[in-house]
Amino acid sequence: MSASDNDSSGYRPAVIGVDIGSSFSKAVVLSGGTIISWAILPSVGSYRAVADEVINQALARAGVAAEDIAGVSATGYGAASVASASQSSSDLSCQGRGIAYLFPSARTVVDIGAQFTRAFRLDGAGHVVAFVLSEKCAGGSGRLLAIIARVLQIDLDEMDRLARESKKKVDFTTSCAVFTESEVVSRIAEGESREDIAAGVYRALAAKAQSLVERLKFAPDCALAGGGAKNTSLVKSIEEGVGVDVLVPDEPQLVAALGAALMAEDKVAVGKSRS
Amino acid sequence: MTEEKKPEERKKRRTATEAAGRVGSMTKAMLANVPQAKGEGRPIAYSFICCCYDEIIRAMDITPHWVENYAGICGAKRDAQRFLERAEAENLSRSLCTYALCGLGFDAWREELGGEMPPDAPWGGQVKPDVMLGSGQMLCDPRNKWFQAAQHYMPDVPTYDLNLPWPPYEEDYDYREVQDDYVKYMVAQLRGLVEFLERHTNRKMDWDRLSELVDLTDRTWNLVHEAYELRRAVPTPMGTGDAMNTMVPLSFMMGTQQGYDFFKELYDELQQKIARKEGVIPDEKYRLLWGGGLPSWFALTDFNYFNSKGAVFPAETTYRMVEALYNFDIDFARITDPLEHIAWRWLKFWTCRYDKTRQRPGSHPDVERLIDYIEDYQIDGVVMHEAFSCRSWHVGLIWQLNLLKKIYRDIPSLVLESDIIDISSYNEADTRARIDAFIDTLEAVKSRAG
Repeated sequence: MSASDNDSSGYRPAVIGVDIGSSFSKAVVLSGGTIISWAILPSVGSYRAVADEVINQALARAGVAAEDIAGVSATGYGAASVASASQSSSDLSCQGRGIAYLFPSARTVVDIGAQFTRAFRLDGAGHVVAFVLSEKCAGGSGRLLAIIARVLQIDLDEMDRLARESKKKVDFTTSCAVFTESEVVSRIAEGESREDIAAGVYRALAAKAQSLVERLKFAPDCALAGGGAKNTSLVKSIEEGVGVDVLVPDEPQLVAALGAALMAEDKVAVGKSRS
Repeated sequence: MTEEKKPEERKKRRTATEAAGRVGSMTKAMLANVPQAKGEGRPIAYSFICCCYDEIIRAMDITPHWVENYAGICGAKRDAQRFLERAEAENLSRSLCTYALCGLGFDAWREELGGEMPPDAPWGGQVKPDVMLGSGQMLCDPRNKWFQAAQHYMPDVPTYDLNLPWPPYEEDYDYREVQDDYVKYMVAQLRGLVEFLERHTNRKMDWDRLSELVDLTDRTWNLVHEAYELRRAVPTPMGTGDAMNTMVPLSFMMGTQQGYDFFKELYDELQQKIARKEGVIPDEKYRLLWGGGLPSWFALTDFNYFNSKGAVFPAETTYRMVEALYNFDIDFARITDPLEHIAWRWLKFWTCRYDKTRQRPGSHPDVERLIDYIEDYQIDGVVMHEAFSCRSWHVGLIWQLNLLKKIYRDIPSLVLESDIIDISSYNEADTRARIDAFIDTLEAVKSRAG
């Protein structure tokens, strides 16, 4: 998902999609169906302030003034805090729209977000026709990785790298984040390596994703979205669990913001056709 | 990230019907009647809903205190936590039924205060009973342990554990082969209850009165069925949000003239609304089935949120514990013993879909009920609620949903997660994000269907 220049063949009003998530806030500037810039910031402080900041950063990178934006579409937990939004949509619909744009062949999507993991099925037009979510527990979400990385005293990139060097299978027997955390502490005390522990945690989270896909009834192709998909070890574990290669966006965190931007563009187009 | 979070507000839920709007004051009056009865020397029975003893206790002028109802009120008033915490302090596990925990916490607290109500007890609190009537039936497991545990705090209050089984569903046998034995057993159980109550309350059963109340209950069942069937109309005049109010007269006032009159008024009101084409919302887009699970009593405004998205609930399985008796394959007029009448009514309620189920291989009566409602009420999607502390419902919901999709059709569905009264399990933003996503899915499926 790379930025590109505005199309110079004619005026293409820019729009912006904003996804205010519980951990990260994302913005994508779109013009003529092409991504021209994006920004990602941690959701710290107030949603309203971070929404303003992520929009400003994305606009600055695009070289577009706020007054030249034709539409702002918001999604995510903090969607209501995007003061400039002219529309809002559920993050699930935005995820679907974003994935359909990036991978038109995708019919099953696994979204590993900070709040929960979910799987959903798309029709050919990018509409979500069925979805299932993990239970309300950090053990089923991307948050688990951050918790375990903290216990292992490494960052997420390092945890990803270590897991690729795992030599021994270490399994975790619980689906609860708190219990997994204490199990990790026990495994460290037992002398298990960080590499094997990290790989075991990825497998545990991948198993959750796999069970969701099974509940949903899998249909190829399968794509990933959400911050968890940035982690190559987790992606590999999911591929092994589901039994197929999965499609992964370059910036999986941006999928919902991209979908929101596409919806903003739709609205602008409808407005123009009516006028 | 909490700086923009507003202080928790108690939003009053909008009801679609005037009848449902009256239920709050009816419930208050019902609860107020319990300490009054106690003061007048009339016996009080801790009671559960759907236990077949409504007419029995009323015929003996015993006043029921519905413990599940009281816990639900504490939950709806967002004032259950202190009683739950009190139960936890008694070493009762938080993973037990939170209705039971709330009630036990309350009882422990009240008895510690020497019989005085805990401070600011919602709607007057629950008084110490004279008897406790448990149930070992298959509906819900805490019902035969709750009152045994309550005896830790009230060792002088006797309890009777009523057992009311019904024949399990099997594809390859007809339950009628064993139904007489089941009824015989249930009648013995009910007779034992009458003897227990006569012994411990010094009241004599008035058998003529009992027969009158059994007849009144029959008529109420039919009336409730007919009123709820009116909700098939498009737009539907009443949703599940209201049904979570009307469950009060349905579950707690059965066998009373007040309960019958309530449903007569509801029936008339629904007919008038249908004549005026007046729906729950002006622009009904999606018709949903509340397919199982008790509601989050503290979050009933979620039904209004569904409404704001164009969704209505014309039907629900929860608390609809009645059927039209004239549709059962039994002539009740030939049964002269009121206890036998009660037993047959119970058995036929639970088995009334067995024959239909056998016609669809691999099906189950619970799923056939979903299918009936989906077809009768023109349902677009199914919503269920997994209340973590309600194990008996939690266990089967996903299974029912999966079986429904396997043997019937892939209907859109949403499973909400929270609890009946434990508000710490609830996240409004998360719940509403799920509802939003579900509405988008319904729209996509409807668009595809053209």
